[in-house]
Amino acid sequence: MSQLFDLRSRRAAEARFGRAIGSRGYRALLITGSILLAAAIVQGMTHGIRYTYLLLSPALLCYTVAVWWKRQLAVLPPSGQDLTGRLSVDVLARLKPDMTLQPQNLWLALHDHWQAFFITNHLLITREMAHAQLSTNEADLDQALQIATHLAERNGNATIELGFVIAGLLMTSPSMQQLLTQIKAQPSDIEVTADWLGRNLSDMHAVKRNFGGIGRDWAFGFTPLLNRFGQNISLAIAKHNAHFGWLVKSESVRSIETALSHKNAAVALVGPDGIGKTTSVYALAQRLIEGDTAQTLAYHQVISLNATDLASRARGPGDLKHIMVSLANEAAHAGHIILLFDNAQMFFGDGHGSFDASQILLSIVEARSVPMIFALSPQDFQRLKSRSTSLTAQLTPVVLQELPETDVMRVLEDTAVGLENRHHILVAYEALREAYRLSGRYEQDEAYPGKAIKLLEQAVNYAEQSVTAASVQRAVEQTYGVKASSAAPAEADALLHLEDAIHARMVNQTHAVKAVASALRRARAGVTNPRRPIGSFLFLGPTGVGKTELARSIAATYFGAESAMIRLDMSEYQRPDDVQRLLATGEHEAASLLMSVRNQPFSVVLLDEIEKAHPNILNLLLQLLDEGQLTDTSGRVASFKDCIIIATSNAGAQTIRERVGKGESLESFSSEFSDELINSGQFKPELLNRFDEMVLFRPLNADELAQVVHLLIAEVNKTLANQNISIELTPAAIQAIVSAGNDPRLGARPMRRVLQRAVEDTVAQKILRGEAKPGDHLLLDTPDLALAS
Amino acid sequence: MLVMLVVAFFSWWYGAGWRQVAASFEARLHGVAEAFSVRQLLSTLFAPWRRIITYPGASLGERLRAWSDNVFSRTIGFVVRVFVLLAALLLTLVVALLTIIEIVLWPLAPLAIPCLIVAGLLA
Repeated sequence: MSQLFDLRSRRAAEARFGRAIGSRGYRALLITGSILLAAAIVQGMTHGIRYTYLLLSPALLCYTVAVWWKRQLAVLPPSGQDLTGRLSVDVLARLKPDMTLQPQNLWLALHDHWQAFFITNHLLITREMAHAQLSTNEADLDQALQIATHLAERNGNATIELGFVIAGLLMTSPSMQQLLTQIKAQPSDIEVTADWLGRNLSDMHAVKRNFGGIGRDWAFGFTPLLNRFGQNISLAIAKHNAHFGWLVKSESVRSIETALSHKNAAVALVGPDGIGKTTSVYALAQRLIEGDTAQTLAYHQVISLNATDLASRARGPGDLKHIMVSLANEAAHAGHIILLFDNAQMFFGDGHGSFDASQILLSIVEARSVPMIFALSPQDFQRLKSRSTSLTAQLTPVVLQELPETDVMRVLEDTAVGLENRHHILVAYEALREAYRLSGRYEQDEAYPGKAIKLLEQAVNYAEQSVTAASVQRAVEQTYGVKASSAAPAEADALLHLEDAIHARMVNQTHAVKAVASALRRARAGVTNPRRPIGSFLFLGPTGVGKTELARSIAATYFGAESAMIRLDMSEYQRPDDVQRLLATGEHEAASLLMSVRNQPFSVVLLDEIEKAHPNILNLLLQLLDEGQLTDTSGRVASFKDCIIIATSNAGAQTIRERVGKGESLESFSSEFSDELINSGQFKPELLNRFDEMVLFRPLNADELAQVVHLLIAEVNKTLANQNISIELTPAAIQAIVSAGNDPRLGARPMRRVLQRAVEDTVAQKILRGEAKPGDHLLLDTPDLALAS
Repeated sequence: MLVMLVVAFFSWWYGAGWRQVAASFEARLHGVAEAFSVRQLLSTLFAPWRRIITYPGASLGERLRAWSDNVFSRTIGFVVRVFVLLAALLLTLVVALLTIIEIVLWPLAPLAIPCLIVAGLLA
C-alpha cells in the first residue's frame, strides 16, 4: 500500500506537526513571544542590552514558528498531483507513519472529524454502523481513494478533503450499499452528500467580498424617502454579508441583469409562486453590490416597495400618488436605484390591501428614468396585459423556468444548512429528497423550489432528534390530511383485513369488495402508479344493491370518515356548458368539484349515474383517470392522485337482474356485458378501459336482504345504547320486513324506510308509554311491528 | 523526524513563505484601493457631490445661479474625493513601505535567532 501515499513524507510530517501545535499552540506561541518581547524591552531599559538579546532570540523563534504554522502547517496547500501531495492536512495529520493502510483503519483515524460527521449524520448512519461495513483489505483502499480524488476534482478542490475520503470509503463498501437500501436511502446519496459538503467547503474558503469601499455612493444621490418607504435589499446584503451561492451566477439572474442593462429598462419578472422571483432579485442585488457586473449597473442598489405598506402610510389616494411619484423621482435622481415591485399585482389593484397605481407606473415606465422590476405570476401578468396593454408593452418580460431536480436539491441543501444553524437540529438528506417528492405530489399551487422549501421548513416542527423523511411525511399528513408515511403495523393489519371491515357494514358483493380492497392495499403499499388516482372503479348494477354503500364504507374504513366522500350527481351535468361548472375555481360556486378536492385531497369521489353526464364531461373524466388531475378555469391544477374515483351506473341493470336470475355468476358474463354496454352506445370503450376495474353488483336475494335488516337493527341499537335499551327481532319479524321492503326495481333501498316505520316507530311508542325502560331488551315479533300502515 | 521538520521549515521560509509575502504586496495594495473606492473616485472625480444640483430656469440670472450651484457641488465633490484619494495614496505608501521592510527582513528572521544568542553572550 506504500505506493498509495507516503506517510513518512515531509508533507505528512508537517501535517502531524501542525496538528500537534494546533490553534491553542499557535496562540501560546504568540503570547509567549509577546511576553518575551516585552521582557526584552524592559530588560533593555533597566539592565542593559545583554539580556535583551537573549530574550529577543526565543521571542523571534516563537514568532517564526507561529507564522509557519499559520501560513503553512495549518493549511498545507497541495504540492503535486500524487495522493501525498493532494490529501488535505486534516487527513495526513490523523494518520500515523507506521499504521497499516486499509479502509477500517483509515475510518478509525478520520471518523471524528466534522466532515466525517457531516457525511454520516446527513445519511443517518452511525459511526458504529459505518465501521462495521468497511473492509480490512488493503487492496480496497485504492478504489476508495480514486473516488475521493474524483469527488475533489468534480467539486473544484485541489486538495482531497477528509470528507471526500470518508465518502470514498463508504461508497466502495458493498455491504454499505445494502445498508443504505435497508434504511431506504439510495447508494447515490453518499456521492450527493459529498458534493453538498464540497459546496459548503467552497463557500467557507471563498475570498472576502468587497462592497465598493467608502466612496461607493458619493457620485449618487441621497435617498431619504426611499429609505423611509422601501427596503434596501443591497445594503442589507452588504451589512449581513448574505450570500446567495451559486444562484448569483445562475441563468435566471443573468437574464434579469441583461434585461436591466438596457437604459433604465422595466422588467416584468414572470413566474409562478415559489419559483424564486424574489430570491433571484436578491441574488442579483448581491451581484450588483459586489460590482461584479456591467459598468452601467455596478454598485446599483435594489430597493423593494411594498404596496400594503405604502397604502397604510398614505393619508389618501392623492397622497399615495404623490408618494409614488416622489419615490420614482428620487430613485431617478439618485442614479443607482433599481425599484423592485414584489407582488406587483398589488400595485395594479389585485388582492387585499392593494391599490391601482397602473397609470402612475405607466408614466414612470414610459419616462424610462429609473430601472424597475415587477415580480408577477403568469396569471397576474396576463391580467395586467388585458387591463393595460400600453404598460405591458413597455415591460421586458423575463420568464423564470422551474429549476431541474438537481438544482432544486442544491437549493434544499442550502436551505437545510440555514435551518440547521437556526434551529440547532440536523436535517437528514432523506428529508430533502422526501420534501422534493411529497411537495411535488401534494402542492399544486406553487412551483419548485419554493414548495419544497416550505415543506422542509414545516417538517422542522415535526422533528424528533433530527429532521428526517418521517418528519416531512408527518408535516404533509398534518397539512394536507393525507397518508404519506408507510403503514404502521396496526394499519397494515387493518389493510390486510379490509374486506372484513367492509363486510361489517355491507352484505355480500364479495367480488366488488375484493376488487376495491386490493386497490387500496396496492396504493398504501406504494406499488401503484403515483401519477394516477389511487383507484378508479365503475360500479354497475341495479339500484339498492350497495354501490353507494361500498363507496361510503371505503371512505369510512380507508379515509377515516364517511364524510371523506365527495359526491356528485352526474344527472345534474347534462348540458355542454356544465363543463365550466365542473371546472369552476370555487371562489363563487358553492359546490365546485375542484375546490372540494383541493380541500379534501384524500377522499372518495363518487360520480353517481355517470351515464347521464354530457359527453364533454365524460371526456374530462378520461383526462382525470389518465393524469390524476384537472385544471380549473383559472389555470390552477387540482390533484386527484390521492382519491379513489368511483363512478356508478344503472346501465344494464335489467340484464344483470335477468342473468343472475337465471343462475349465472357475475364473472361468467362480465366481459360479454361490457361489450354490450359499448355496442349499445351507453359507454365509449375508451372510458370503460380507463377504469382500473368494472365491478358488477348483483341483486340481493332474500337471505341477503335479511342480513341487511340485521345491519340496520344494529344501527338502531347503536342509537338506543344511549338510553340503555336494546331490541331484537324474531325471524318472522325479519321476514316480514324483508317482504315489505323488497322491491325488485329498488333493491334494498326501501328497507331503511320500512324499518324506520315498523321498528323505530314501535320502539318510540313503547318508550313514550313507559313500556320500555333503561336496561330493557325488547324482542319484537311481527304483530308488534306497525307494518300494516 | 526533527531534521525533516527543520528542513521543511527552512525550505518553506526561504521558498513559498517568502513568495507569499511578496505576493501579498499586490493583494494589500488592491485592498487599500478597494477600501477607498479609488477606481470609482477617479472615474467620478469632477461629478457633483451626491448629485446635489439645481436646474437652470428661463432667465439669465437663474441660469447663472444654477451654473454656480453646480460648480460649487462639483468643487465640493472634487475636494472630498481628492482628500480621500490622497489618504489612500498615503496609506498605500505606508503599506508598501511596511511590505518592502517585511520582504527584506523576512530572510533575516531565522538567522537572527542564533545571532541574537551569540550577541547576548558576547555583550
